[in-house]
Formats: sequence, C-alpha cells, structure tokens
Amino acid sequence: MKKILTLILFVTLILTTACGNDSEPGKLRVMLGSNVVSLDTAKATDNASFEVIADCIDGLLQMDKDGRIIPAIAESYDVSPDGKTYTFHLRNAKWSNGDEVTADDFVFAWRRHCQVSDKYAYIMGSTVACIKNADAVVKGADPKTLGVSAPDSKTFVVELDAPVPFFPSLMVFPTFYPINEKFYNSLESGTYGTTHENFLYNGAFVMTSYVPGSASIQLQKNPDYWDAANVTLEKLHYQVVSSSDNALTAYRNKSLDLVTINGNQIEYVKSDGQLSKDLHIITTGLLQYLTFNQDPKNHHAGALSNVNLRLAISNSIDRESLVNNYVMNGSRATYTAIPIDFAPNAKTGKFFAEDQKQFAEYVGFNPDKAKEYFERAKSELGRNDFDLTLIYANDAGDTVIKVVQAVKAQVEENLQGVKITLQPMTKAEYLDKVTTNSYDMAVTNWTPDYDDPMTFFTLWTTEGSEISEHWSNAEYDRIIAECTTGNLAADYNARWNALYSAEKILLENAVIAPLYTGANTNLVAENVSGVDFHSVAVDRVYKHAVVK
Amino acid sequence: MARYILRRILLALVTLFLIVFVLFVLIRIMPGNPFPVERMTAEMIAMKRAELGLDEPILVQFANYLSLLMSGSFGNGTSLYNGAPIKPILWACMENSFKIGVLSVLFGTAVGLLLGITAALNRGKFLDGFCTVVSILGVCVPSYVFMIFLQYFFSFKIPFFPYFFDVSRFLFSSMMPALSLSLFSIATISRFTRNEMVEVMNSDYVKLAESKGLYGFELLRKHVLRNALIPVVTVIAPLVVDLMTGAMVIEKIYGINGMGKLMVDAIAGDGVDYNYVLALGILFSSMYIFVMLLLDILYGILDPRIRIAKENV
Repeated sequence: MKKILTLILFVTLILTTACGNDSEPGKLRVMLGSNVVSLDTAKATDNASFEVIADCIDGLLQMDKDGRIIPAIAESYDVSPDGKTYTFHLRNAKWSNGDEVTADDFVFAWRRHCQVSDKYAYIMGSTVACIKNADAVVKGADPKTLGVSAPDSKTFVVELDAPVPFFPSLMVFPTFYPINEKFYNSLESGTYGTTHENFLYNGAFVMTSYVPGSASIQLQKNPDYWDAANVTLEKLHYQVVSSSDNALTAYRNKSLDLVTINGNQIEYVKSDGQLSKDLHIITTGLLQYLTFNQDPKNHHAGALSNVNLRLAISNSIDRESLVNNYVMNGSRATYTAIPIDFAPNAKTGKFFAEDQKQFAEYVGFNPDKAKEYFERAKSELGRNDFDLTLIYANDAGDTVIKVVQAVKAQVEENLQGVKITLQPMTKAEYLDKVTTNSYDMAVTNWTPDYDDPMTFFTLWTTEGSEISEHWSNAEYDRIIAECTTGNLAADYNARWNALYSAEKILLENAVIAPLYTGANTNLVAENVSGVDFHSVAVDRVYKHAVVK
Repeated sequence: MARYILRRILLALVTLFLIVFVLFVLIRIMPGNPFPVERMTAEMIAMKRAELGLDEPILVQFANYLSLLMSGSFGNGTSLYNGAPIKPILWACMENSFKIGVLSVLFGTAVGLLLGITAALNRGKFLDGFCTVVSILGVCVPSYVFMIFLQYFFSFKIPFFPYFFDVSRFLFSSMMPALSLSLFSIATISRFTRNEMVEVMNSDYVKLAESKGLYGFELLRKHVLRNALIPVVTVIAPLVVDLMTGAMVIEKIYGINGMGKLMVDAIAGDGVDYNYVLALGILFSSMYIFVMLLLDILYGILDPRIRIAKENV
C-alpha cells in the first residue's frame, strides 16, 4: 500500500511540474515562420530577422499602430528647404551596456552597411535613400566620404543627393538602425549578433537565449529602454514553426499565442466558435505576379517579346477565382502594379492603388479580349502553338503550387494553342534562373522595403535588379529617374502623378501580370492585445502588446 | 595485424578524400549562388563572387578548400549567407543531435533487445507474433509519422510533454523525438536479435549445454546471448551514427537545433550555403567512415578469417 501511495505521489509530482504548456501572464509566445538569418543589420535579409532586430534595437524613427511615422531614438528632426539634408536630434537613450546611444552609432552602422551588406546594399544608394556617395562606398570608396556626420553626440546629419519624399519612412527599416562601435570592435570578427551575449540592445527587449538557426528565441523586457514605462510585456518567446498544421495544433494546445496559418485551414478555423473569434486577416504589402522573359533570342519563348501574347495571357487569368478558390487566405485580387492598401499619399491619405479599375483595359479577366489579343499575336508571330515554361520556387509552401496550377489551367483553357509546363525548383535555383535569363515565365513576388510605390517601380527599370525581363522603355526609365533624383523628386503631387503614368506604361506593355496582394492569416489568443501589424519594414511590433 | 589496420586506415582516408571531392564538385555545379542575390545587381553579384574566389577554375577552388580544410577550417570558416563563423553553430547543433541520438540509441537498444529476446524465447507463440508486428511497424512507419502521432496524443490530447523542444528542459522535452527516432532501431535490433538467438538456440552446443543440465537464465547468459549478440553489435554501430547525425524532419517538426535542421536550412534558403553543406557532408561521412573503420578492425580482431581473407585481396 505504501508503495502504491508513493507511486501516486510521484506521478502527480511529475504531472504538476512537467505540464505541457507554459503560459503565464505577461509572456507572449509567437510563431516565427522561418529562421532568423542574422541579427546583424547589414546581413539580415528576411522578415523574421527584421522583426527580432526591431524588438531589440530602436532606430531613429518608428511606426505607430496605424503606420504613421513617430519618433524613436530621434526626438525630432529638421529637413532643409531643398529636402536634401536631414538633421536628427537624438534623445537620451542607453545601450544595454550602459553607453549612451549617440549619433556616432548611426554613422558607424551606416558606413559599415555600405561596405559589408549584400542584399540590401542598394537601399542607401541612388535608387532609394540617395545618401551622398553611397553608391561609390558600396563599390569600395572610402566610407568616410558617405554623406553622414555627427556634429555632436546627439545630432545626426544626413546629406542626400536628391530630395527623397519618403526618407523618414526608411528610418523604420532595420538597415538604418545603429550599432555601438566600441562594442562591435570588442568582439571577435564576424561574431556580432551571433549569440544573445554578442549583441547590444537599446530597444524594448533584450534576448536571454539565442544562437543562429535557433528554433526558439527568448526575450525579456529591457528595464533601461527609454520608453520602458509603456512596455507591459515581461517576456517574449519566439518559436520557429515551419508547418502551418503544426502551428495550428500548437495554438489549439495553447503552446503559442500568435500563429500564422494558411488558406487551407481557414475553413476549419471559421467553423470553430472560439478559433473564428481569434482570426485576424492582415493585408501585407506583398505583390504576387507573373513575369515574362521578353528576350527575343530566348529559344522558345521569343514569342513573349510580343506584347499581344503577354496581354492575352494576363487577360485570361481569373484573379478573383485565384484568391477565393486557391489562395484562400484573405489575399486580394490585384489589377495594378502596386499592391492594395500600400503607400498612402501623404497629402490625401489615399493608398496608391486605391483605384483598382484604372488599368482595366490592360489587366483583368476578360476571355473574349484575351482571345482577340491572342489572334493578333498568332498572326504577328506567324504560329499557332506556344509551348511555355512557368518556373516557381516550391519551398515557399503549397500556396504557390496551387496558384501556378490554376494559372496554367486558366490560360490553357482560354487560349487554345498555349501549353504551359510547370517547373518547380528550390529558391536558390529559381533566383539563378530568373537572374540569368533562363526562363519563359515566372511566378514571383516582391515585398516592399519602404512605404512608397518606388520600392516596386525600380524593379522594372532597365538597370533594375533581380529579374531580367529584357524589357527596356526609355520613357519609363526617364519618369523613374525624374522621380528619384530628377526634377520631380521635390514636387510631391507631380511625382505622384508621374508614377501613375509609369504604371500605365508598365501595364499597357504587360511587362508583368499582377495576380494578388498577399495577406497573413493570424490567430491571436483572446487574452492578447496591442500587437501592431505593418505591411512594410517590420511586420509585427510588440512594444505595446498586453497579455492578460 | 598492424599491416591490416594500416591498410584499413589508408583506405578510409582515400574514401574520405573522394567524398570531399565529389561533394565539392557537386555543390559547385548546382545552380544558384551561395548568397542571397534577390536585391543585388549583376555587378554586385560579380564583385561578391570574385571576393569569395568563386570565379576561379573549380580545381583551383578545390585545392584552396583542401588546404584550408587541412588547417582545420571549413572554407573561409564563415557562413556565406550571413557571415557568422560556422564552427560554434556546428558544435551547438552537433551537441543537440548527439544528446538526442544517444537517448534514442539507449532506448532503442534496450527495448529492441528485450523484444528480440522475448520473441526468441516464445518462438511461434503469441508474444513472438506481437514482437514481429512491432518490428514490421517499426521498419514501415517513418519515424516522423510516429513523431506526429506522439505529439498529437501526448502534447495535444493529453498535454503532458511540451509541444516543442526546449533546451531548458532538455531531458523531458527530448523524450518524444528520442522515442520516435528509436522506433527504427527497436525494429532492426529486435528482428536481428531474435533471428540470431533462434539460430544459436538450435545449435549443437546449446543443446549440449541443455543436456548437461543448464537451464533458464544461466544458459541464456552464458551461451545464447554471448554468441547471439556479437553480430547484433554490427547492426547497432551504423544505427548509432545514423541517429547522431540528426533527423531532418523530426528536428524541423519539433523545433530542435540539430544537424539535420542545419543541413535543410543551408540548402533551402535563398542561396545554398556552400560552406555549411560541405562541412556537414564531411562531418557525416567522416563519422560513418570512422565507425566502419572501427568495425573492420574489431572484426579483424574477433574473427581472424576476415583479416586473412581481406589481406589476400
């Protein structure tokens, strides 16, 4: 009998100490869809990294819950009348080693960024931030020549080559965050940001456990944060979960408080009383689109250099059916080159792509018109059959697979004679193919780096990075140049209108076939409030999150 | 004997060299860049490739890599993707995979032996059939399916075990992955043990021992197990390496920072991180080669016939 009692006691002890879920008030447990690539702002390339960096480090400015730019480390800033000099006045804020956050921390980080960054090196340069001499420094010039300076420890001055109307919104992007030079130099080369100890914090949270590739990251409130009084969260725990099925079960199990699910699961979630209350669909700035390789020499896709064939394909895709029957996660059919609910006009507050019908003539679902275009293409090209390949990266989940299958079915049905072969591949191979011109059509997407349509428009200039469409239009290039470094840069309204003309050129030539604006379907536990969701720079911000 | 061992070691080194060469060439001819090119211009990509020496002929690159490897560094020693040093991360992941691997080896061997012995002793009876079913299931059902099953029942339906791996509760939270990983070894070891034991139990010397009046545990321990388990050891050895090099899917599902997950991440990103893929490939192969070498030598010591046969080859 004694033995049995001991056993029962032992089992209850284990059960009580080892309970499966570890929820507690003031602790938020969040799903991360992928690993953090790097906490080094110059090496971070992905949303997960940006989000965690933004938890730990404050930049000059930040976004409020509605996406408006508000002060962070910079208490205020002045812009010179010509719009080419920004002077930021820094507040008293501390790094977690006790050092003051100074203007030199920004000077150091920005210079270093130009020297060592790969993917985001371009952001300081003449296509985006236009910081004086940035392009030269990226190519190896003396970093001291970069147009940034610190006249005193609390004043940070940036000189630009041209007025950049969205410059303040860029400051939210982690690339522009500071690094403490003394701390950085005290570390062994290459180890900055590789563990929680090799990282310095001036933001709302500090990490208590992290190594690169970590499947879980633990953070806690930073008591020395300048705005600590407004941070209520005590602990923040990230769990990397790559399967959304796993995420949903973990959420139902109460092991996570905030997860992102995919389109397949929405029906199930909506049928469940409690889960449907927790569902939050948030439009992201992601534009999913079809791109065409217009190189006339491309062996069998030379046909895609014909604008009528491209227009025919674009007009035979039923985007509403695509989002409602295949993507199903709240993504929205899009008929413009700029995604919906993105880049509000600073004067009117209207989003750039508010009018989805303005290019209906070129982009839409219109099988009859598609056939007309197709007939024209056939007679111009002198052939009736077109074998085209459509490549896509298959490691981004099953949504893209459903999308390409639907596009193939719709186009083949509406355009008799077009045959599309689907080619899945890894992301690395996909990027190689689209940058080296070995593709016909590709399903691709772009997420904005800053809150201005230009983050998309620069993609399609002759010099534009990434995908080689082999499309070049002098008028388009001229407008974009005028709007970045030319005369229109300083005139807000004229620039805005010019961008619409650029978009028209893009779409009447069917350089791309826009498909949809992406959305994230989140489940947020009912005891959690105050998480801010954004479509640019940093997806989720937890500074004002509350867990009851 | 010394000559035999020396030959084995030399052969192992040659194998390793060939593996490194093949891995190196395969990775280099794979499409894609080792770093994220998404927002880079052609000019920048070329600059970066030159900086990493990727524009040189492949044999020159291989020679450079080999000389760095000799000095104990995997390539330039950093991730080509984010610039962080490889080794600390590699060791951290290895530690996790090792610990879980050891747990599952211990569990798999213990349960496997127990099942195998039980089955052999009850040949033709219900328990034998039961053990056979378990081992067939173990071979057929992939460990990650079993993992999902365990996770569903013991973390979700009955929330006893944590849903994700948690370093701060290592032993407790690694129970489920270790258990699911051990399924295959349970199956293999139990089947092998059963067959070996049945064979030994039918052998003349066991019958002789029985007729001498030896019964039960004594007979089992002194005559049957001793002879039956030597071949079993040869099955366990490669299983050990297998389990310690991590399990890609399980590590991914359960959120363990292990070598399997590291490998997947290195391949499936926006770029293929050459240095990681090669380092992991080299580590995996050297572990296998080392264990095989040990086994070969052990065989040679245990059974002189093998040594003589191999020396004559």
